[in-house]
Amino acid sequence: MTAVEVDRINVFMAVRRAQRPARRAALSLALPLIVFLAIAFVAPILYLLVTAVGNPETREVLPQTLRALESWDGISTLDEPVYAAFANDLKVAKDKSTAALLGKRLNYEISGMRSRVLAAARMVEKLDTGPYKEKFLELNKDWDSRETWEIIKRNGASFTPYYMLTALDLQQANGSIKRVQGDQAIFLDVLARTLFVAGLVTLFTLILGYPVAYVLTIAPKAIAGFMMLMVLLPLWTSLLVRTTAWVVLLQSDGIINDVLTALHLTSERLQLIFTRTGTVIAMTHIQLPFTILPIYSVMRSIPATQLRAARSLGAPPSSAFWRIYAPQTLPGVVAGCLMTFILSLGYYITPALVGGPRDQMVSNFISVYINRDLNWGLAAALGVVLLVVTLAIYLLFLRLVGADKIKLG
Amino acid sequence: MWLPSYTTPSERLMRTLVLAFAVAVLLFLIAPLFIIVPLSFSKDPFFTLPVREYSLRWYADFFGNTRWMNAIFNSAVVAVMTTVLATTLGTLAALGISRADFPARRLIMALLIAPMIVPIVIVAVGSYLFFGQFGLTNTRIGLVLAHTALATPFVVITVTATLSTYDTNLTRAALSLGASPSSAFFHVTLPNIMPGVVSGAIFAFAISFDEVVVALFMTAAEQRTLPVQMFSGIRDQINPTIMAAATLLLALSIILFTILALMTRRRVK
Amino acid sequence: MNFSQRMSLATDRPVDALVRFEDVKKSYDGINFVVKDLNLDVFRGEFLTMLGPSGSGKTTTLMMLGGFEQPTLGHILLDGKPVERLPPEKRNIGFVFQNYALFPHMTVAENVAFPLRYRGITGAAAKEKVRQALGRVSLEALGDRRPAQLSGGQQQRVALARSLVFEPALVLMDEPLGALDKQLRERMQIEIKQLQTSLGITMVYVTHDQSEALTMSDRIAVFHDGRIQQLSDPETLYNAPANRFVASFIGENNSLPCTLLGWEGGLAVVRMADGTTLKAAGANVSGMGVDMSISIRPENISLAGQRPHAGFNRFSGMARDVFFLGDHMRLSIEAFGGQLVTARIPALQARHFALGTDVAFECSISECRLLEE
Repeated sequence: MTAVEVDRINVFMAVRRAQRPARRAALSLALPLIVFLAIAFVAPILYLLVTAVGNPETREVLPQTLRALESWDGISTLDEPVYAAFANDLKVAKDKSTAALLGKRLNYEISGMRSRVLAAARMVEKLDTGPYKEKFLELNKDWDSRETWEIIKRNGASFTPYYMLTALDLQQANGSIKRVQGDQAIFLDVLARTLFVAGLVTLFTLILGYPVAYVLTIAPKAIAGFMMLMVLLPLWTSLLVRTTAWVVLLQSDGIINDVLTALHLTSERLQLIFTRTGTVIAMTHIQLPFTILPIYSVMRSIPATQLRAARSLGAPPSSAFWRIYAPQTLPGVVAGCLMTFILSLGYYITPALVGGPRDQMVSNFISVYINRDLNWGLAAALGVVLLVVTLAIYLLFLRLVGADKIKLG
Repeated sequence: MWLPSYTTPSERLMRTLVLAFAVAVLLFLIAPLFIIVPLSFSKDPFFTLPVREYSLRWYADFFGNTRWMNAIFNSAVVAVMTTVLATTLGTLAALGISRADFPARRLIMALLIAPMIVPIVIVAVGSYLFFGQFGLTNTRIGLVLAHTALATPFVVITVTATLSTYDTNLTRAALSLGASPSSAFFHVTLPNIMPGVVSGAIFAFAISFDEVVVALFMTAAEQRTLPVQMFSGIRDQINPTIMAAATLLLALSIILFTILALMTRRRVK
Repeated sequence: MNFSQRMSLATDRPVDALVRFEDVKKSYDGINFVVKDLNLDVFRGEFLTMLGPSGSGKTTTLMMLGGFEQPTLGHILLDGKPVERLPPEKRNIGFVFQNYALFPHMTVAENVAFPLRYRGITGAAAKEKVRQALGRVSLEALGDRRPAQLSGGQQQRVALARSLVFEPALVLMDEPLGALDKQLRERMQIEIKQLQTSLGITMVYVTHDQSEALTMSDRIAVFHDGRIQQLSDPETLYNAPANRFVASFIGENNSLPCTLLGWEGGLAVVRMADGTTLKAAGANVSGMGVDMSISIRPENISLAGQRPHAGFNRFSGMARDVFFLGDHMRLSIEAFGGQLVTARIPALQARHFALGTDVAFECSISECRLLEE
């Protein structure tokens, strides 16, 4: 290195050193929030990710059995030691009443396992000594099946791909990953439905919102202010209030049907509540301001002289609009549509109250698996799928628009 | 209307159509909100217009029911605590981010805004599972923590927006006149960014007061908030008492919105 | 005192320097320097202006002195003591900001009283000081107004009063008159200068307006590209620019490329592009470089008489354009083989004058300066 280079590096370091206190001071102001979000926001999401691959049940309930299975090659017939270990584990499980937990977990992979495990646990409670193997086989001949023990052994691992695979309609069988067939394959369908509804809502908000944004920019100030109020007030109103309004409006004996029949547009009352049509209408209504505002803020920055210049250069009105004006509004359209699409993916309340069973989105299934089926792993795995899709689009948004461009009203 | 003089007849027609369309969309935006108001004052338990006879019976129902009153109380407590926490954390962070020397601004901004973006169910389930480990589910504290995470991006955004119009020479002037950094902040910076801070606080309050999904997961009957009470009401059997509750929430939104609009106007001036 | 004598003073380190910059460098990214090797003394009681185009480093220098920026390398001494680590509020320096930075939520009187509260002056004593300070800028009556209710000029005065009320020995001003219209600006220039002289304070003033600098300053430091190009009193700066940048930045100037032939009785002899030889008095060159130019101000060129004058350069040129500007005419002359030279001559003189003909011009040798890049 030459002296000049050394000097340059020294100067560079001096600059970094001089900036350090200011950088540290700036960062320290944001630090409380960063730490808070790390604990109250990032940690729960990470915990969700862990839950999606976590596999504690078998390890906790069957430690001895797993140890006995360690040397098993997966082919040969199992002998008494494994069954004895299994019996011991089940006795402990019966005492701690954790057998049901194990049964539930294994039941995800082999149906009927729940009752088999519970029956076996009840049986071993009454047995003092072995040999156990024949007792188990007497109880249920499937205790001899290779598949059963393979799955128990596989679930000895701390992490399992089971939930993630299930959330993507995949399953692990004989060491390979296959697509689930028939009525078991529901989740990709749900994901596709979620994307479809979000896309539809985005499209409708764009079609309805673009002209509104345009009119907001050309209207006289006072009128534009009033119109803006009409856009912002719904945004401020509780999502639940807006959904409630739609529940009421969409009833079979509700106001929309009253109007339609009064105008003789339909002869019989339409089923609107608990349908996809109703869900999309309500979601479009709720998302509309999110699409309008970014488009409006971009349109406002386009000088009126642009269109005048196009006209003076000989462009007819429609061509001036489509070739000069519309392309310049594109950043706003992208920002608004991505925002609405991202937010639409996570809808829960509106589909739950306005949609029918066939209109439930990923969020609703997550809720069902948490609250009704108590299958946290699968709920978490579905959450991961939703999160990945959302974050992918958020990254796109950050690339195209930027987080510092998000404004409120 | 609002047309330059060089417009052609076909252009006039086009513009009139666009205007009519926009007005229709604005009606679509605003009408559903106000449909619930007359329904909540109807004497009949039906959701049809016109209302045959007005009465306050659903409001009497609402205010006479300890469940609803308890829910309002819970919502208010949680929202106030969330507001205080989110406004403090968010304002401090915005002050840091707005400094020229803030490192990795884009990355940290993306993190701070993320709670607005991540699907609410994921926040709800994550909080339910994670806070459950510490016995914080079915407590108000747990709900406040989750709501604060959801509300801080709004505070960060509003305060950052105000700071972008704040003349940093004001702080420099205060320092050059002998004020310590902290007294420069409290006597000069804070009074001047107050509109942004108050807007952020209003946002935080509204977010918490209206939030359903996280509250559904994080609360039991005892901590039930107003939106949760409404949600379960609609799920079971929608009744006009819910219309009364919705109308009251709408009124609250309008009040908060008005305060905010007044603050913004003052700021523009 | 000329430029070189000032330079030697700076290296002698006189004791009366209130502010001293020692080898100060400033870089924000570690690669590009906004301020390069700054050495400058500000003497007690003087009015020093830092003049330069935007991006020349003058405002950064002022901010470093105010404590709002840290020098990357080097030292800043205030009253003989290094202050790099001293925060702005401990420096006791008055600062008038661009756009004034008046606190919009406080009244005029509260603004002016603000620095007093940090110096333990409260109650009646503070009131009296505020009254005095506002009196000094003729704003006694407006103490209860908010800054937004004042005109630009009034706001400027409040900012001035606020920076003076705590009687600092040093006041810094960053383009304080930039937002005012021309007339008001000229009046404020005189008022500020009078205040500075009567209060005996030291003032460091930043501007990009050369006429402002020439009017107000005891000394002017011309900044360009992070360096001081010249540091001298206004007259020297105008009449004897140290280099081509200063010559063209201060006032109007013709900069004509030439070759140095040699020296003759202390005067430089140069050859112009077309072979004409001229002489130049003020030379500020180090050697016999090729990249030189002769600098002549338009007002120093006049129409030549029949016979050459002693002590004058004579050259011929063809007038291309004439603009009438009231008291004088402005000529665009093509001379020295196709170069455009601007001249300002009195309107009376220009009466007998025809476009497109060759005319003889002259300029005093003492007003011609030979400059390097």
